[in-house]
Amino acid sequence: MSVTVTARASPDALLALASKEGRGRLKIFVGAAPGVGKTFAMLSAARSEQAGGRDVVAGLVETHGRRETEQVLQGLEQLPRAPIVYRHRVMREFDLDGALARKPSLLLVDEFAHTNVPGSRHPKRWQDIDELLAAGIDVWTTLNIQHLESLNDVVLKISKIRVRETVPDKVFDRADEIVLVDLPPDELLKRLAEGKVYVQDTAARAVESFFKPQNLTALRELALRRAAERVDAALVERMQAQAIEGPWAAGERILACVGPDAASPGVVRTAKRLADLMDAPWIAVTVERSGVGLDAASRKRVDSALKLAESLGAEIHTLTGNDLPDELLRFARFENVTQIVIGRARGGTLRQWLQRPLPQRLMQRSTDIAIHLVPLPADSTVRTSPSLVARMNASTPAHFLYAAVAVAGALLVSRGLAQVIPSASLSAVFLMAVLFSAVKSGVGPAIFASALSFLTYNFFFIAPLYTFTIAEPYELLALLVYLVVAVVAATLAGRLREQARVSAGRVRAMRRLYEFTRRLSGLATMDAIAEGAASEIHASLGRPVMVLLPQGDELVLAAAWPPEDLLDEAGTMAARWAFTHAEAAGFETGTLPIVPWRFLPVRTGDTTYGVVGVMMQGKDGAALDSEAQALLDTLTEQTAAALQRAALTRDMVSARTATETERVRNTLLASISHDFRTPLSSILGSATSLLTYGDKIDASATRDLLANIREEAEGLDEMVRNLLSITRIESGALELRRDWIDLREIAGRVIAATRRRGAAHRLVLEWPAEVPLVNADASLIEQALGNIVANAVAHTPPTSTIVIDAVVEAGWVRLRVTDDGPGIPAADLPQIFERFVQSASAKTASNDRGGVGLGLAIARGIMLAHGGTILAVSPVEAGRGTRMVLSFVDTAATEVKTS
Amino acid sequence: MSGKPRALVVDDEPAILRFLKPALEANGYEVAHAETVTDAVKHIASQAPDIVLLDLGLADGDGKEVIRQVRSWSDLPIVVLSAREREAEKIASLDLGADDYVNKPFATGELMARMRAAMRHRMQRHDEPAALTVGGLEIDAVRRRVTRGGAEIKLTPKEFELLTFLVRHAGRVVTHRQILAAVWGPAHTSDTQYLRVYIGQLRQKIEARADEPQVILTEPGIGYRIGAGDETQR
Repeated sequence: MSVTVTARASPDALLALASKEGRGRLKIFVGAAPGVGKTFAMLSAARSEQAGGRDVVAGLVETHGRRETEQVLQGLEQLPRAPIVYRHRVMREFDLDGALARKPSLLLVDEFAHTNVPGSRHPKRWQDIDELLAAGIDVWTTLNIQHLESLNDVVLKISKIRVRETVPDKVFDRADEIVLVDLPPDELLKRLAEGKVYVQDTAARAVESFFKPQNLTALRELALRRAAERVDAALVERMQAQAIEGPWAAGERILACVGPDAASPGVVRTAKRLADLMDAPWIAVTVERSGVGLDAASRKRVDSALKLAESLGAEIHTLTGNDLPDELLRFARFENVTQIVIGRARGGTLRQWLQRPLPQRLMQRSTDIAIHLVPLPADSTVRTSPSLVARMNASTPAHFLYAAVAVAGALLVSRGLAQVIPSASLSAVFLMAVLFSAVKSGVGPAIFASALSFLTYNFFFIAPLYTFTIAEPYELLALLVYLVVAVVAATLAGRLREQARVSAGRVRAMRRLYEFTRRLSGLATMDAIAEGAASEIHASLGRPVMVLLPQGDELVLAAAWPPEDLLDEAGTMAARWAFTHAEAAGFETGTLPIVPWRFLPVRTGDTTYGVVGVMMQGKDGAALDSEAQALLDTLTEQTAAALQRAALTRDMVSARTATETERVRNTLLASISHDFRTPLSSILGSATSLLTYGDKIDASATRDLLANIREEAEGLDEMVRNLLSITRIESGALELRRDWIDLREIAGRVIAATRRRGAAHRLVLEWPAEVPLVNADASLIEQALGNIVANAVAHTPPTSTIVIDAVVEAGWVRLRVTDDGPGIPAADLPQIFERFVQSASAKTASNDRGGVGLGLAIARGIMLAHGGTILAVSPVEAGRGTRMVLSFVDTAATEVKTS
Repeated sequence: MSGKPRALVVDDEPAILRFLKPALEANGYEVAHAETVTDAVKHIASQAPDIVLLDLGLADGDGKEVIRQVRSWSDLPIVVLSAREREAEKIASLDLGADDYVNKPFATGELMARMRAAMRHRMQRHDEPAALTVGGLEIDAVRRRVTRGGAEIKLTPKEFELLTFLVRHAGRVVTHRQILAAVWGPAHTSDTQYLRVYIGQLRQKIEARADEPQVILTEPGIGYRIGAGDETQR
């Protein structure tokens, strides 16, 4: 072979290598039959690795009591098995979590094809090993060639044993290294005879004839061939990765045609073997006849055949069309298929008589594609389409009654017409009845109607009249015509009805989906979406549904329909698995299949937002058909999109809140620096003036400067007090020292203090008689009122009037501060009680005692802490003025009423 | 200058005026007061005060607007009052043509000194100083000689240009931008690294101890200032 080095490595090959990085390496010791010494070979190799200083642990090794094997096992660290309770018995299984925790460099796990005890995390050991590899642990394991999925039916033919424990080929193909442990059949038999090998493999033991030389030879050949293929594949892979021009496959492509018939699994396996032999890619395809719905059993067979094909590495497609061969060939040509594998059909006799079988039609139309026929398994009793009997059973007694009524009607009409029309033509009237029954009620009633029509017609209209005797054989023709019309018309009508039903179903599903999307799009929070999704998915599938969302490190049940607030431990584990691995878990999956729920990750891109769980067992416990599965997938995707949207909104809101907090903090700092600096400038300036130029300043100016220092210091003290108050109010640490207080006295004090601060405004106290005392904290209320009045002073010209008064109404005592200033712009009114909000005019007003725009916020905080309210009204009258109303609960009045 | 110097205080904080007025009067100023940009500009135009004390945060707009408008027709001294941390505002004011700034809160003595420097400079603008002695350094701008204790210090033409520019503004702060525009040309106004290098060299030559400069003082983040001259020179 001439080797040409080209510049480029195949991207696929490089990608495959790259995806292997970080994974542990898998080495499989393959043998043709039990007893050839796989475990021994594995252990011996492991011992020499260990001698080389490697951290080797025996995860699980079956010695089957063989002395040699046990000897090699000595000196290797062994992982204890984990107990698993199943049906009240404790079974000992391989401890996957223990192995993951121990994380050796190399782990030995015997019996690659082993099926785990139900209740284990994965149903199959190869899945355990997959998880170990994903965790970066190198694994060595053993496998008998008969356990390979694609060889399943070949092995069946050779040994007459159906092997139940199988390993998908793709898993075998992914192994980094294959070691063939070979022993000539004669030698194996000799060792067996000498008792050196005790075979514990149940499959082998069940049939004594398993260890026959010809069986062993055939299996050995399979193993050798398979190992040789592996070598070839590895070589090609390496050549591609190193961009070596090599013997590429000859462009063969294989198509496996899968249907609801029993031949399908055979078709799939045959196609896989062909593909392997030719080193060709292969596709498994099924054709859905538009309008023809499959019954649940057929649907399940198709699904399982497709699943098998997928597990064997095929690409899967579902086509829709009426003309099967046409559709298949069109697809085959499009995909450049060179070989088609199809099952030998065995339809009903009638069908065969009417139409040539599919393979024949395929062969007739395709000239360029090779066609392989796979025979049906001998024991198959499966029929491709529902039988006539089954279809008849679909009709209810009412349908038969309709048929009888139709025939009776025909009789009446015929009797009426008998006078004018020759009796031979009257058979047409009965034909109408048959046709009517066929269209209306289906095959059974139609056949019933034709029999009944024939008898009635014979009895009433054919000589000899009023007997069932048939004089001439040709009169039987009527019966034959009736029957044919009945069957044909009923079949056609049935197909139409079925089509209508299917399309109605599709429309329903579409509408459902639309409804679902619409409903979810209206929801804002993740919990609401979970709730909506659960109820909608439940409505679509008719099964219990739950939605789990992450909360911190935990995955919690966010919603379920029907309502459910508990998920057992196994379910929770499966859900968590689905969430963290972004793969389906639970029922009929590779992870914790014992759980009756199936959990699907809800994800978009590489973010998983939660998990949807669907109950798969119970009163209608059948697995979901592929249509329902597709619907579920779509619904899950929609849920993911909705959750993504909600998550984005949430993040945006929290970002906005953070920005807002930041803004408030900056405003606070700016305000504080401004509002502290002005009084400080004043104090420092006054003090230094007195110190430096005291002798040049006259007495009254000196007094004024000193007064200035005192007032500004008081202002600073006030501001510090306000800042502390708002901190206490916001942290909820405001302590009320309630007492019975007279609001009038407080209002008086506030007015005096305001005057003392030099406000030139007219301050008026208008106090009605009989204002009750209120139960409140006097100093806090004085602070609140003081802030309100200071605010009024700051926002009005010095010529204004500020009125403080009180009104008593309906259990409230209202204290009001009204000014006749310019008022508050309507746009600002809603925010004035917020922190750090100051109107433009207040920005520089140093006599706003709130200083940093806290005054009103503090007043509100104080009022709320007292169980009261605060309210601003502006304008008060004639477009001017602001009124602040502080409302106190009239405790005295309420107490009188309640006592 | 005849009679008392007249100062205009532009500030809308009554508390500031309350202590400034007696302090200024005690220092022999006649004090007028304006609260808004419009009032201030009007007053300067009609009354032509000898010096303006300008607070930058005014109710009806930015105090810088006063500088902008006034500088188009007058070079009277303007001293800005500003918060310590508002460097950008101070630089902008100085670039617009303010003579100096004082950080709030301030001691009145410092303010008076700055006001004196600004007013003296205004007079110097009309008759360039023949010589300046600062921190033991004698600078003779006319004869282009710089001496310390009688010994002549050799300067490159650029260094001398830089030094004389600072001397011409003695006692006042000049921004990086102003120095660069005057000494290196308007194209180099953002090349502050030139300035740092030259100032460093200059300090090495003229300062008694380069790491404790007495002649060229740094105003962090704003610019440089040369001492107003030894008091004995007045």
